[in-house]
Amino acid sequence: MIEFRDVQVVYPNGLEALKGVNLEIPRGQFVVIVGLSGAGKSTLIRTVNNLVAPTRGEVLVDDRSVTRANGAELRKLRSEIGMIFQTFNLVKRSTVLRNVLAGRLGDNNALLSLMGIFSRDDLALAHASLRRVGIPEKAYVRADALSGGQQQRVGIARALAQKPGIMLADEPVASLDPPTSHAVMRDLKRISGEDGITTLVNLHFIDMAREYADRIVGMNAGEIVFDGTPEEASDAVFERIYGRAIDEEHDIRGAA
Amino acid sequence: MEQPKAPATAARLLTLGTLAIIVALLWVSARQTDFSLSDLWTGANDFFGFFLRLSPDWRALPEIWAPLLETLQIAYLGTVFGTLLAAPLIFLASFNTTVNTPVMWVARSILTLIRSIPDLLYAAILAPILSIGPLPGVVALTIFTMAVLAKLASETVEAVDPGPLEALRATGAGRNRMIVYSVLPQISATMTSYVLYVFEINVRASTVLGLVGAGGLGQLLNRYLNFFDYGGIAVLIIVIFAVVLLIDSASIYLRSRLL
Amino acid sequence: MAQDTAPSAATLPPRPARARRGIALQYLIVLGVVALAVLSLLTLDLPAWDRVVDGLRNNMVRLLRGFISPNWETGPLAVSSMAETFFMAVLGTTIGAVLAFPLSFLAAGNLMGGTGGSYPGKTLLVAIRTFPEILLAIIFVVAAGPGPTAGIMAMGIHSIGFLGKLFGDVIESIDPGPSEAIRAAGGNSLHVFFYSVVPQVLPEFASTTLYRFEINLRAATILGLVGAGGIGLPMIQRIQFRRWDEVSMLLIVIVGVIIVVDAVSSRIRRRLV
Repeated sequence: MIEFRDVQVVYPNGLEALKGVNLEIPRGQFVVIVGLSGAGKSTLIRTVNNLVAPTRGEVLVDDRSVTRANGAELRKLRSEIGMIFQTFNLVKRSTVLRNVLAGRLGDNNALLSLMGIFSRDDLALAHASLRRVGIPEKAYVRADALSGGQQQRVGIARALAQKPGIMLADEPVASLDPPTSHAVMRDLKRISGEDGITTLVNLHFIDMAREYADRIVGMNAGEIVFDGTPEEASDAVFERIYGRAIDEEHDIRGAA
Repeated sequence: MEQPKAPATAARLLTLGTLAIIVALLWVSARQTDFSLSDLWTGANDFFGFFLRLSPDWRALPEIWAPLLETLQIAYLGTVFGTLLAAPLIFLASFNTTVNTPVMWVARSILTLIRSIPDLLYAAILAPILSIGPLPGVVALTIFTMAVLAKLASETVEAVDPGPLEALRATGAGRNRMIVYSVLPQISATMTSYVLYVFEINVRASTVLGLVGAGGLGQLLNRYLNFFDYGGIAVLIIVIFAVVLLIDSASIYLRSRLL
Repeated sequence: MAQDTAPSAATLPPRPARARRGIALQYLIVLGVVALAVLSLLTLDLPAWDRVVDGLRNNMVRLLRGFISPNWETGPLAVSSMAETFFMAVLGTTIGAVLAFPLSFLAAGNLMGGTGGSYPGKTLLVAIRTFPEILLAIIFVVAAGPGPTAGIMAMGIHSIGFLGKLFGDVIESIDPGPSEAIRAAGGNSLHVFFYSVVPQVLPEFASTTLYRFEINLRAATILGLVGAGGIGLPMIQRIQFRRWDEVSMLLIVIVGVIIVVDAVSSRIRRRLV
């Protein structure tokens, strides 16, 4: 369970990215956060693993405070939270397998992993993760030789290798074309359901949110302006989140 | 119709001003060092005159091999140790891989300090302390290598793609593992190229370190100078030239294969 | 959060041959480097460990004591010889830059009609660059007598090699567009040179020259060792007499000037390019 208690984030340049957010997310829920750029989505998601530290307030994961955790505690917490990024953030010149194995680094023996030696269990887990996202044959290929959709799948595999209880996805499909986006979202939803992982996804498009989410949280200027089921996310709600009406151009529901 | 005025009088003043400063600097320099353009001409003449009159005394060749080997070893060890010691400093001095800001500034200051002392000076100071021989040479080159490498490398490290670093941090990996898995793969080719380049410089430097007693060909050079053995000096010059040329070419070739 | 996805260890897919070769090569290289280092250490004529410790104990303390309390009376001498060193570097760098300028065009592929045409130019520069500066200084001292002139000449000639190569690289990397435009408008080679090539390369040339000045300043501090002027001579004398407090003073001046020059130079170079 993830709990946000009055989380406020003010950046050094004075920008108030989050204005006292309160939110509770039960275990296993697939939550999509929508809103314009600058609404605070990325900031919110990064307070869960403390890549961004709240200026006030606290984030708790299973009743353990992430915000107050230090050094080793924080790393332990982070190793249980998987994260995927809009730009995939793979090490381009390393192989796919090496990238996935990086997911094990929060957890295993220090000296051996510095030399690049992983246990058989780790290797098995990495290969299995690749199988679950459907690209087991790419294990020894260089990461930058893959297509965008495949690279994001490697990102998901890396997160899976952590055996996470929580998955954070910061605009995971923003760099992908619509058919590939839907494929990746489907995979994410499926894996999340199979393993009971609490998932937070940032998306730009509310239509995709309506299709995949158990719950939609809409943000505008650092505040939560909507919190409900996809059915409740009417077009009027849309206007509240985005400040304008939905139109045909931006409706990419159900492609491929 | 009126023509627009020529722009930026300020820019032209800057150019003129800079030129004036340069000329003034040159004039002062020449006066303070008793240098004149005619010296340039006579100097060049003397140089080539001397050069052409040099006849190498090839009998000196056999006694050159051992010091030559020593020179190469000094350069090699200096490079290896310098690289090993530079590694942690490089990452501490780069803003994206350091522990915290004060540590970063301390590391950078140390590097700036080390870098402002030429390698021969290190050798000169260390020679009386560590006893004449290859040891001060190795230590001097180690320190020098650290300085040069750290400067080159930290610029590369700071220019690395920050994305993979963030991803690794998000998995809970500690600082060391983060560096090994997301920074090193991105810079390994460039770093190897830098190390080879530093080795080149070190070979050149170690050929003359012996002038201050730090071992290698330089000590031979010293002896020849003291005894005015120009024939020996000539052979030495040729040998040094050949060695440096060889190492440089090999290094350039290897570096081109890397990048 | 159990994930029943790990199969038995026996079903791990094998690593492809190419990857295995790559890893083997890496291990081999590391092993080779270490082996060579160990070999070198063993065969070098290094003093016995206790002699080193002895020497350290005797001399290091005296050295540190001298370093902590620099001899301010040597100050004026330090400053004046460092000034001479500075001026030597200025002249040496200028000579190098001025002479390298024409040579660099001979070494640039795009002006000499391809890599073949630039080969002689490049080789000449490499030849010049191969000589360690000190050697050049020694030759000048022997040929033309001791003094700063020898140092200036040595730096000048060595700089020609260094700057010539870097200038050549800059020339080879310019945008061919403007040159093409000038030709299309009917200009001849001289026009192309002055209106396209020169304006594009001048800022980089200046920046590279400043960089060489930083290096030459350092070199100039030690050329005095062989009698070529500058702070090198007073420095080596005091080292030989173990007058560490005076050495310390000289060092302070050297380090101070170099750090300031480096900082100013970096500033200027950033505004240039």
